[in-house]
Amino acid sequence: MIQFSGVGKEYVSPLRRRRVEALADFDLTMERGEVIGIAGPNGAGKSTLISLLMGFLAPSAGRVTIDGASPRGYIERQGVGYLTELVNLPPRWRVVPALHRLASYAGVPRAEIPGRVAAMVDRLGLDEHAGKQVRQLSKGNLQRLGLAQALLGEFDLVVLDEPTHGLDPLWTQRFRDVVAELRRPERIIVIASHNLDELELLADRVAILDHGRLQRVVRHSTEASANAVAWRVIFEGTPDVATALAGAVPVAGRDGTWRVLATRSDLSRGLAVLLSAGAVLVECVPEQSQLESAFREAVRQ
Amino acid sequence: MNRDSSPLRYLPYQARDVAAGPLALFVAITIGLTLVLWRFFADSTTISDNPALFLTGTLSVYQTIAILFATGGVAGVDIQRGFYRAWFSKPIAPWLFYLQRWLLGGIAVLLIPVMLGSGLSLLYGNGTGITWALIGSLALAYLLVGGLVLLCSNFMERDWLVVFLITFLQARLHQMLGLFEQLGQEIAPLLVLTDRLLPPFHLVAPSAGLPSGSELLHVLGYGGGVLAVALLLFRHRPLGSGGRA
Repeated sequence: MIQFSGVGKEYVSPLRRRRVEALADFDLTMERGEVIGIAGPNGAGKSTLISLLMGFLAPSAGRVTIDGASPRGYIERQGVGYLTELVNLPPRWRVVPALHRLASYAGVPRAEIPGRVAAMVDRLGLDEHAGKQVRQLSKGNLQRLGLAQALLGEFDLVVLDEPTHGLDPLWTQRFRDVVAELRRPERIIVIASHNLDELELLADRVAILDHGRLQRVVRHSTEASANAVAWRVIFEGTPDVATALAGAVPVAGRDGTWRVLATRSDLSRGLAVLLSAGAVLVECVPEQSQLESAFREAVRQ
Repeated sequence: MNRDSSPLRYLPYQARDVAAGPLALFVAITIGLTLVLWRFFADSTTISDNPALFLTGTLSVYQTIAILFATGGVAGVDIQRGFYRAWFSKPIAPWLFYLQRWLLGGIAVLLIPVMLGSGLSLLYGNGTGITWALIGSLALAYLLVGGLVLLCSNFMERDWLVVFLITFLQARLHQMLGLFEQLGQEIAPLLVLTDRLLPPFHLVAPSAGLPSGSELLHVLGYGGGVLAVALLLFRHRPLGSGGRA
């Protein structure tokens, strides 16, 4: 279990003339088996939060514990699968030897290292880059190398900071599959991301940060049906949508396209009426995801 | 998962780094120096009769540079360039990691007189010139200079440069105070205090021989002290300076 209790972090310039409060009064508990998302605009405090969790920074106030121990105490014993926002490895290292070395650092027994590295190279599509130097890798390939080194150790805590940064759509999708495969009852996965769609798909809970403060924690499954959100609904032809769906507004210049502000249940009831009357549905998608709505509300944009 | 938690698991990688870095350079310099001796000084009785003197003289020139090369940037580069995030998310204690790397650097430095002495023995057949006093003095110099580099490594990438400047400053100050003493001039207390606070590099010069008594304690205390502080900082001071740095 990870516990943040009243955690604050203030950066002070060397001459103490300037103070920046990056995080304040942060309370959150993360349980085993959970995938936790950390969302927030730029400068919200996400990276600081991750650095505090990794023990790379000390909190100015409050306490961070992992299984009751300090972050460093825990990590030096157990290790963490950690993908940094900016993957940083010595530029002259080559992909496969780097993974061998990092597997050794991760505590993978010597005899298992070649097999584990080969499997990870294959899983993350690094085969054709195996002999390249780190500096020769594109941003996306570097990100995949970062993910590979994070997953080599099969740790009970996985921390991914902006994991799809630089990945193409194909690998973004593949990454989601990888995270889904990582789920274990004994494992905590923490994902900090700007990508709300990604967090909505992967995380059980999302903590929304703004100006260094926890604004709210969105539990995806329970909050989804409670709020009215905007939907875009497209029908074949021009059925009488306005009478079945209260608040539906036609989109100017687009025949059969409507904008509806409704909860999931209200939308479902309205659509049922229309479909039973013979209307043909082409598309029904939320204009904003549930998380995006919660996010906008939380950061007041 | 079965996990190997021994710090020795990453020793081969660190040893490879040392072998490919400082040790390779020391080997190249030793071979180069031996070739120069073979080509131009093969008949020199000065060297063949006194290999120990030659070895001491050579180390007097290169000792500090060799130690700075063996220890420079070892931790500072990792910390300043952010590599530490990949290393120390793994089950590794930074203080143990850097202590191990530091000790390997020490072995590379101690191999310099061994390699050079072997070269002299091959060339002149009159012994290696290696003495325990020379090895001991070099080990103490490594403790003092290398320990200080490791301490500075906590804060900066160019730790070696700062230590080089400190050795330069200390040597000049110590020389100046010695001159004042010879001339019987009064020395400002601040200069005496500064001289005492600076590392006693003059006590580990190969030409000075192995220090003993209070001088040995001074070197051991100072060198051991800076090494201990360096390791304590690695143990307790967070390595990051910002969310991303």
